[in-house]
Amino acid sequence: MRENHSKIFSIIMYLMIFILVFPLFILIIWSFAKSWPWPDLFPKEFGLRGIKYFLDPTSKSLSALLCSVFLSMTVTVITLIITIPAAKALALYEFKGKKIVEFLILAPLIVSPVAVAMGIHLSFIRLGLANTFIGVVLVHLLPCIPYSVRILKNVFEVTGEAMEMQARVLGASPFQTFINVTLPIITPGLVSAGSLVFIVSFSQYFLTFLIGGGRIVTFPMHMFPFVQSGDRMMASVYSVVFIITTLICLQIIEKLVKRYYKSGNYFFIN
Amino acid sequence: MLIPVMTVIVGIFLVGLFMAFMQSLGYFKAIGLTEITLKYYKEVLTSQGFLASLGFSLYISIISSVIAVILGVLLAYSILISNRRNGIEEMIYKLPIVVPHIVAALLVYNILSQSGILPRLLYSIGIIEDQSQFPSLLYDKKGIGIIIAYLWKEIPFVAMVVYTILSNINDKLSDVAHNLGANNRQVFFHVLLPLIMPSVFSAFIIIFAFSFGAYELPFLLGPTTPKALPVKAYIEYTNPNLANRPYAMVINIILTFVSLILVWLYNKSFELISKYDR
Repeated sequence: MRENHSKIFSIIMYLMIFILVFPLFILIIWSFAKSWPWPDLFPKEFGLRGIKYFLDPTSKSLSALLCSVFLSMTVTVITLIITIPAAKALALYEFKGKKIVEFLILAPLIVSPVAVAMGIHLSFIRLGLANTFIGVVLVHLLPCIPYSVRILKNVFEVTGEAMEMQARVLGASPFQTFINVTLPIITPGLVSAGSLVFIVSFSQYFLTFLIGGGRIVTFPMHMFPFVQSGDRMMASVYSVVFIITTLICLQIIEKLVKRYYKSGNYFFIN
Repeated sequence: MLIPVMTVIVGIFLVGLFMAFMQSLGYFKAIGLTEITLKYYKEVLTSQGFLASLGFSLYISIISSVIAVILGVLLAYSILISNRRNGIEEMIYKLPIVVPHIVAALLVYNILSQSGILPRLLYSIGIIEDQSQFPSLLYDKKGIGIIIAYLWKEIPFVAMVVYTILSNINDKLSDVAHNLGANNRQVFFHVLLPLIMPSVFSAFIIIFAFSFGAYELPFLLGPTTPKALPVKAYIEYTNPNLANRPYAMVINIILTFVSLILVWLYNKSFELISKYDR
């Protein structure tokens, strides 16, 4: 009876995973298809036109990709820097108005970014932040902060403050403590928060489009017209490039963080 | 310690919402409107177009989130029961996070458009004889394309949240129930489900709020009418006549208002979780 039961659920699992993964295979095939007319199940001819177009300097796609990576890396670094102290405060200390602060930090995850972006647009124009790199970085911070704070807060809740106290008692300065004790302890959390923040920023379309005003051209903005017009081959090439770039950047983030703090899991029980 | 984060949150998030709110009341100094009025709210709330859009947005979000939650729980439970867990859960977890909504729209387009893979398959096994016999699932008033694209992104998310909780639940609980004569279904509905319910609920709120406020998918896969609220707000916003701005802002404030109700519910659900933990 139990055997049967688990067999049925195995089938359900593999079926659902197949449905989720199958479209990605089609995406990869499409990106190499030269001609794939109805009603063929496989492309008639394969070609590299899409990839050539992507690599061609006149399409400016490669520079948009680099701009996107640079933008999202900047957003990731800034988000981590400003959320580490906030997450620590929320995890370890009690203070007045903590509930309201937690509520406000969480709110951008739930309130429509469309509404916030249109509301702040005029102020950004007045301040000269609209259509600039800094303006786009600032507005990207909003959807990133809630994720980073939540992950890092969980980490601080688990690790507590005992190790840092020990370092301070032994005479380390607050700065030394932070660099040599706090950061190594929270390394696993930094990797996951950094990865998620990078992904959130890297896939942003609307915020970049509105606040960047067409001046700051990121990769999703290059990709969007192809999807919109239904050019499947080009859109598939750009999607595959997008996904591969994301995966490479996540590896880089992990390597960078771990290179500085090799200690890994000495203190933090995963 | 909180100052940098709160500067960003207050300076951009709260100020942005406040500006939207003032403009929705007709206070828009840049074009000389300084009178506070509820006129725009009245006009928007009684317009057929707006009500259709509100209905469409709510419909898309409710249907996609409910189905995502049910199938997500089913997937998590299936992974737990079938004992072959060789890195599958990690792959599922990463897959939808790395793929953005724009690409999700393309995936749906590749499979379900009238020249997509599914109609080709149906043609090759002889179920349909022509492209046009395949129902047009994209750009339709029922929003099926949008819903499926959201499902593709959301089912793995829900599954991952639920799987984390399920795999941490002590096996002994289920074993005790089995020993006392409960069958698998009873164990699931009376032992496991109550334990995962709070997290399921908070996952529901997150995906509901996201799909309710997002622009990309309804823009790429939605019908000409009715348009989803965020799309409608943006169209009003880009109207060259600046006197039109307050209408866009009214839509934004209503979007925000619905979201705030959700945040409130979300916090409630966390109170529930901590109750179950203790």
